[in-house]
Amino acid sequence: MSILLLILAILPIVAGIIIKIMFVPAVEGISVTGAHIFFTIDLPLGGLPITESQVNSWLVILSLFFFCLFLTHDLKTKDISKRQVIAEWIVEAVDKMVLKNMGDFFMGFGPFIAAIMGLSAMTSLMSVVGLFPATSDINVVGGWAILVFFVITYYKLKAGILVYLKGFTEPVAFFAPVNVASEFATPFSMAFRHYGNVLSGSIISVLIASVLGALSNLVFQWLPEPLSSIEFFRIGLPAIFSIYFDLFSGCLQAFIFAMLTMLYVSNGFPQDEYFKRKALKHAKENKK
Amino acid sequence: MLELAIGLILGGCAIGAGIAMIAGFGPGIGEGQAVAAACEAIGRQPESQSAVTTTMLMGCAVAETTGLYSFVIALLLIFLAPGRFVNILLKALGKM
Amino acid sequence: MNELDVLSVNIWQILISLFNLAILYFLFKKFLFARVKAIVAKRASEVTAEYDKAQKATEEANEIKASWEEKIKTADAKAEEIIQAAVEKADNRSEVMLYESREKAESIVRKAKADAERERAEAQATIKQEIVDVSTALSEKIIGREINMDDHRSLIDSFIDNMGDE
Repeated sequence: MSILLLILAILPIVAGIIIKIMFVPAVEGISVTGAHIFFTIDLPLGGLPITESQVNSWLVILSLFFFCLFLTHDLKTKDISKRQVIAEWIVEAVDKMVLKNMGDFFMGFGPFIAAIMGLSAMTSLMSVVGLFPATSDINVVGGWAILVFFVITYYKLKAGILVYLKGFTEPVAFFAPVNVASEFATPFSMAFRHYGNVLSGSIISVLIASVLGALSNLVFQWLPEPLSSIEFFRIGLPAIFSIYFDLFSGCLQAFIFAMLTMLYVSNGFPQDEYFKRKALKHAKENKK
Repeated sequence: MLELAIGLILGGCAIGAGIAMIAGFGPGIGEGQAVAAACEAIGRQPESQSAVTTTMLMGCAVAETTGLYSFVIALLLIFLAPGRFVNILLKALGKM
Repeated sequence: MNELDVLSVNIWQILISLFNLAILYFLFKKFLFARVKAIVAKRASEVTAEYDKAQKATEEANEIKASWEEKIKTADAKAEEIIQAAVEKADNRSEVMLYESREKAESIVRKAKADAERERAEAQATIKQEIVDVSTALSEKIIGREINMDDHRSLIDSFIDNMGDE
């Protein structure tokens, strides 16, 4: 049962590789392009192109879903298995991070933070196996940033719309336009930070790969025909660079995106006003 | 004449992208200072290493934003702007 | 064109990825966090129950221990009492025995003393008689005349008595 679920968790990644081999044409030379479009659905506002980034993020979601099931099927209270230890460790670590950065009012944010980290890290790490990293598509991270922006605004509105609007006139009313601009800059900066980091990493990877290809052509051109066309430097060497750009940068960006989400939400939430309002409401209800 | 205009557009876009990336200075200097301060802090209080490292990474990520904005502008100038500008030029000349 | 531009914005794609994150949030909430938290809570309650049980057992054991200690204490007291009684009894008996033996010894000593006294008196009497006899005979021989035996005797008796008195 658990092996079946583990296979199901790995299967989407394999499926992604197969889809890439079957449908995406190989890229020749230096070319920096976005995701490959499989087909376009006709919709208003420019139609919906189903691209590699969408497919890859769905595959990641499937993989994470089965991985969750693998970790959490038949949990026990005694004689716990290694899977359960891992699951409990993940939950505890995320909850601890949320508690440390947001306070105990936001304890329900554990799954959200875990989802951001898991989705972001996994989609970035897909470039390790040669797939298109969905996070280097501005639409994907833009969607996440907009969701985070909604969450931030929802928590800011919890203390009433007047408090929310008053927040824009701090420290003086003259700053209102700047405050509005900085409010809307939050999702933009989050999205562009993530997107820019991952995309710059993949562009540098492409450049390194092409430089290594040219270099190996130059060095090994004296070899006989079938051997000289093999670009020896492109075997293995780009992987060393991809350790930084894919592994480290991908995980770091996921962590930073989650961290910024926590900080923005907890800092934007007007805690004092919210509790004051709640106390007032309680008092009114008690009077009735 | 049209070729010259298109060439000017492409060249201008490329130069603009290069100039945009000068903004890479800022985050570089800022992050360097942040890391230097973090190293100093860790040297003074080695037991606070994990907290300092986390905070430093966060600060570096935020400081990097301006550099990434410039990077995005450079990308726009290389990949999107030339086509747009050439289209605008052709439309203005009534050739499309 | 079969590829997206490096930087292209499409509202539907943004929406899709927004809902992707929301879906993953619900999946994580339902299948990871809720399950793990439920099992952790269950374990915590089980541990509490076990702890309560253990506490109860400890309390019971303590009670039993206390009662046994009480019993042991009373038993000790009883034993001491018994020993005390025995010791007293023994003391009494020994005293009695001592008294009796002392009594016996004293009576023996008294008897012996009385015997000795009587013997001494007898001996005195005999010696007196003999001395009288001897002195009578001697004086008879020395004086050469017969003294009235009775006079003589009274004389000597008084003499001896005087002697004994002095």
